[in-house]
Amino acid sequence: MSSLKTVWRVAAREIREHGRSRAFLITTALTFLLVAGLVVVPGLIGGGTSEYTVGGVGEGNEPIVASAELLGNAADEPDAEPSVAIELRPFDDRASAEAIMEEGELDAILIDGQEVIVESVGGFGDSAVLSLLQRGAASVELEAIVTESGQAAADVIEVMTSDPLETTTLSGPEAGDETRGAVAYAGLLLLYMAVLLYGNWMLSGVTEEKSNRVVEVLLSSVKPWQLLAGKISGIGLLGIGQFAGTILVAVVAVQVSNVVELPSLDVATVANLIVWFVLGFLLFAVMYGAAGSLVSRMEDAQNVAFPMSMIAVVGFFVSITALSDPDGPAAVIGTLIPLTAPFVVPVRAALGSIPTWQYVLAVLLTVGAIVGLVFVAGRIYAGGLLRFGTRVKLRDAWRSAGT
Amino acid sequence: MFVLALSDLHKRYEDVAALAGCTFQVGRGRMLGFLGPNGAGKTTAMRTIFGLVTPDSGRVTWDGDPITNEQKRRFGYMPEQRGLYPKMKAHDQLVYLGRLRGMEAKEAAASADMWLERFGLADRRLDRVEVLSHGNQQRVQLAAALVHDPELLVLDEPFSGLDPLATETMADILREQTASGKAVVFSSHQLDLVEDICEEVAIINAGQIVVEGDVQKLKDAAPIRHLELELDGDVGNLFETLGDVRQIHSENHSHTLIIDADTDIRGFLARAQEVGRVRHFTYTTPSLSDLFREAVR
Repeated sequence: MSSLKTVWRVAAREIREHGRSRAFLITTALTFLLVAGLVVVPGLIGGGTSEYTVGGVGEGNEPIVASAELLGNAADEPDAEPSVAIELRPFDDRASAEAIMEEGELDAILIDGQEVIVESVGGFGDSAVLSLLQRGAASVELEAIVTESGQAAADVIEVMTSDPLETTTLSGPEAGDETRGAVAYAGLLLLYMAVLLYGNWMLSGVTEEKSNRVVEVLLSSVKPWQLLAGKISGIGLLGIGQFAGTILVAVVAVQVSNVVELPSLDVATVANLIVWFVLGFLLFAVMYGAAGSLVSRMEDAQNVAFPMSMIAVVGFFVSITALSDPDGPAAVIGTLIPLTAPFVVPVRAALGSIPTWQYVLAVLLTVGAIVGLVFVAGRIYAGGLLRFGTRVKLRDAWRSAGT
Repeated sequence: MFVLALSDLHKRYEDVAALAGCTFQVGRGRMLGFLGPNGAGKTTAMRTIFGLVTPDSGRVTWDGDPITNEQKRRFGYMPEQRGLYPKMKAHDQLVYLGRLRGMEAKEAAASADMWLERFGLADRRLDRVEVLSHGNQQRVQLAAALVHDPELLVLDEPFSGLDPLATETMADILREQTASGKAVVFSSHQLDLVEDICEEVAIINAGQIVVEGDVQKLKDAAPIRHLELELDGDVGNLFETLGDVRQIHSENHSHTLIIDADTDIRGFLARAQEVGRVRHFTYTTPSLSDLFREAVR
């Protein structure tokens, strides 16, 4: 039987047994729910049209409300749902309007276009409608002055609501590229979580085989590296599946809820994420696998994994730095060190601020590091697996595999 | 002739010599009982067959050639430290191990079912291993060594922890495997059992094989005999007339002795009868236990 077939059969078991374990199914379902919730809920809260009802007593309230609505919707896309809708309900006198407001049916009351009444100042909805009405009233007065000097009212409103100065930045993402930053940040979070989560699967999978001693039976028929490669492939494929599923859920949730604009995920962005997901996963899975082979008990597993978790945390923070300063020294150094590259490079690439030579060099260095680690970790794994009991020292595992 | 040969194996762990010139052979259709005190090197020697331990020097061969990976898959192994995936179903576990040794899915499934049936576990086939009793887990473990119909069975302490009925089943299966032409090596501390089912034994002590061969021939050729005597009266210095007494164990009027094979036994019996009434007297070749004690003394 070829090695490839052996590796695949080991991988298939990992996928089958892990994939139908309750823990996996529950975490997958929870992750999907969480992601869908994160996308949909802010949309429900923040999106859509904010509707206000304003009571009007006396004359001169209509132009203010109309102007306030116009200002509130000035930043909307041409055919989008309006952000603000303000209904004006006329009342005969101040007292009857206040009575209705007490019942909570009015957000504000305008008196003769001169005075505004709100429940309190500082409430979220109150201050929003108050500020709109204040601006509306100001623009009505301005309009009157401008009309006298012959200028069209619409021009005034346009000038007031547009940014008169064009914005450029010296470094970092170009203005208007916020979506790129968002994709980079989301991608970084996912990578970080994936590396830790799937790395820990590797760790516990290897330690489990050692703690229940099945490893000796396995190694009587397969080589340590085949077992390691099979585990990495199986957990990797399952991880990519879960990872892709999570992204798919997020995309579908965005489409369905239609409240957030979908960042344009071009092929290059997706390919960038996938390349670094695979590289990052491989790099850490190999290390976690070797670490798992050193201990016989699950209780000891987290201790041996500590250095890897630290590396991931460092990588995460370097790439947070890279988000704000993608060309800075930390970002460049992080790019060229294979252990941090999986976190830093995709962020810089998503921001469009990594020179091609650095990107290519980072891929090569990381691939080189993986190959080197497979050799080192494979030997530690082989040496550690059959030494039961207390935690095996790295040096002893290395030596015992060499003889 | 011999198919499996371990030749002059040496293995040191820091200050301890686990193997110090270990040599033994097994033939097709033969069953070898591999004996030795704790820590004598049995498990280490067995592990070298599967490449789980790489000896410092010496060779392990199958049909005269070093054992390849491909060949290893045609061996079955039951390690001393039992181990299966606790969360995996018994049937799936056996299929997986069969597949790792190169079986196709259908073939492995059929064989797994056959062995589960054979061990009376047909109705537990879909149970996770962790819910099975200790004895049943042991049966699944043995099935795991047998599922791919191996040419060689290497079993480390297969009888430990088994009740008398399960011991009988295990012994039957080993006999049957041997009869069908397999080579079988197993270690055990139950010497009476080994004497019962093995034609050949190898005794290892401090990493070296100290006794090896056909059990009956070993007994006949042994320079010692086993003597049991039940005698009314005080033995006094009766046993001193026997010459070199290797071991002596007395309880009330019963005495068990290991003596030189060339002792004048008729003369001794006559002298014993002068001391008192002889209620019981047996003079036999030594048991395997006697040989073992003699060898590792």
